[in-house]
Amino acid sequence: MSTPTQTETASKTPLTRVRDLWNDYLPYWFMAPMVLVMVMITFFPGAYDLYLSLIAEPTFNVFEAEFVGLSNFETAFTRGGAFHSFVITITVVVSALLLESALGFVLAALVAGVESGRAKSFYRVLFIVPMAVAPVSLATIGRIMLNSEIGIIPYVIETGTPFAAPNFLSEVPLLTVILLDTWNWTPFMFIIFYAGLSSVPDTLVEASRVDGAPLWRRYVHVIIPYMKTVVFVAVLIRLIDLFRTFGVVYGLTNGGPGTATQLVSINIYEQMFINNQLGVAAAIAIVYLVLVVALCNVIIAKVGFEGVWD
Amino acid sequence: MATQDAQSATSSQRLDKETREKLVTVVRHTVLLGWSFVVLFPLYWLVSMSLKPPGQANSLPPDWIFLPTVYNYIQLAQQSDFLAAFANSVVMVAASVVLVLLIGVPAAYVLSRYDIPMQRDVLVWILSSRMLPPIAVVIPFFVIFRALNLFDTRIGMVLMYVSINLSLVVWVMKAFFDGIPETLEEAARVDGATQFQGFRKVVLPAAKPGIFSVAIISFIFAWIELLFGLVLTSFEAVPVTLFVYSFIGSRSIEWSMLAAASTAMIIPVVVFLVAVNKYLAAGLSFGVVIKE
Repeated sequence: MSTPTQTETASKTPLTRVRDLWNDYLPYWFMAPMVLVMVMITFFPGAYDLYLSLIAEPTFNVFEAEFVGLSNFETAFTRGGAFHSFVITITVVVSALLLESALGFVLAALVAGVESGRAKSFYRVLFIVPMAVAPVSLATIGRIMLNSEIGIIPYVIETGTPFAAPNFLSEVPLLTVILLDTWNWTPFMFIIFYAGLSSVPDTLVEASRVDGAPLWRRYVHVIIPYMKTVVFVAVLIRLIDLFRTFGVVYGLTNGGPGTATQLVSINIYEQMFINNQLGVAAAIAIVYLVLVVALCNVIIAKVGFEGVWD
Repeated sequence: MATQDAQSATSSQRLDKETREKLVTVVRHTVLLGWSFVVLFPLYWLVSMSLKPPGQANSLPPDWIFLPTVYNYIQLAQQSDFLAAFANSVVMVAASVVLVLLIGVPAAYVLSRYDIPMQRDVLVWILSSRMLPPIAVVIPFFVIFRALNLFDTRIGMVLMYVSINLSLVVWVMKAFFDGIPETLEEAARVDGATQFQGFRKVVLPAAKPGIFSVAIISFIFAWIELLFGLVLTSFEAVPVTLFVYSFIGSRSIEWSMLAAASTAMIIPVVVFLVAVNKYLAAGLSFGVVIKE
């Protein structure tokens, strides 16, 4: 019995041996690069941020670094304006998320009800276009159109209405940022909600209509519960991405005027490159990172991923 | 008398219903056309500004009728900075998409087909890479890239772009593979194919729409990224987003050229988005919505 096996092993060329190794451990080969990159982009930055936040300044030999305890954190939250930037970030994230969700849903529901197929696909394609605009290009558009001297929007407000136009970039910068982000990313919510709405069976909608329930109640009690997974995922992903916001604000206001639109990400950037305080930047970064990851994971755990995949 | 009442009641109700439906249609299209205007006007404004001669670009009241000129685009094309940045972005983003597919698609296949211990936790861990704010990720890489001479190199930027999109690719492709029946590969294996051949010759072709859409969405997310370019490049590997940003920052802004640069950045993405619009929902929702 053992003879054929032995001859088989003996006759194996290195090439076939490699091929067997490849085929026998295929799942491992397939997973390895992804796991490697994931470790590099999740655990490594987290750990390194933490390390940088606890030392005075990075040294060539990591063991020579001087540990300073929590003093970087203290600086961040006393003189560094960290708390203020967290408040600004939360304001932008929450307002933009609410606006984009509501607007995206209303638009999706309105488009879903359009009878002519051509008009429907016209709206569907048109409404995704703002997503093509990079945040920094959107900042360009904002600077062009809202500029108090050459901007078309202040001009239209001044000449077409009895109101005086506010200086969008200096008087209401936070609102401007929120509205620009809403313009940019409502398409994201729209496209996912639209797909969710088209998955609601017509019979379900018909049945609720026969009941004579008013429109809003049909949505709240029948349609949204049916597509709750879709709603959950869209809101979660948009929430995650809103915490990444940087380009539109940095291009539009640089975090200003003063610190009026200083998101956490901008604060960290300035601590690092303008104040040259790597430790303080890392301290804010680690707090931000932990808060965002914890928040998202709590949401995932609380709401649950049942039905998101099986 | 009673029946007459009932009849008139129903007929008036029907009339009400008809007028109401008409009213709903009118309101619906008013709102939708209103939003269409909100969507289109800023883009129209940007493009029209890029086609105006510099002296005319900022005039108020605006010159609604003007002779379009490609002057700004020619000026832009003569700026070697712009061309270099645009080429950089094309090369770096395209390379990152190829790399992220090579890394992500096989892993997604394994996550779809094999029983992985703690699969749910692995998937949430992968998603959590997206939750990390880029600014928090970029600090360590800024330090490390300087030590490894990867600062201001295209290779370094490609790696960062991969980090943005890997979670997206794995999640979306896992969902697509889940939708491809395993019997397809089993049939191929009965015919003597190895697992790898089954993956390459049977599963991958069936997953083509998924790969196509996730590639384009990854391209877009990398294309619009500003922060990594801002922190990790200075001269050689500057992406087009950073070029536009430094243009905004320059003291005397030439608005019409800035508009031309932004338009040049936006147009390819619009084409891509429209090309994959059917699969956009699946891709953007990390594969949770798979339809059509």
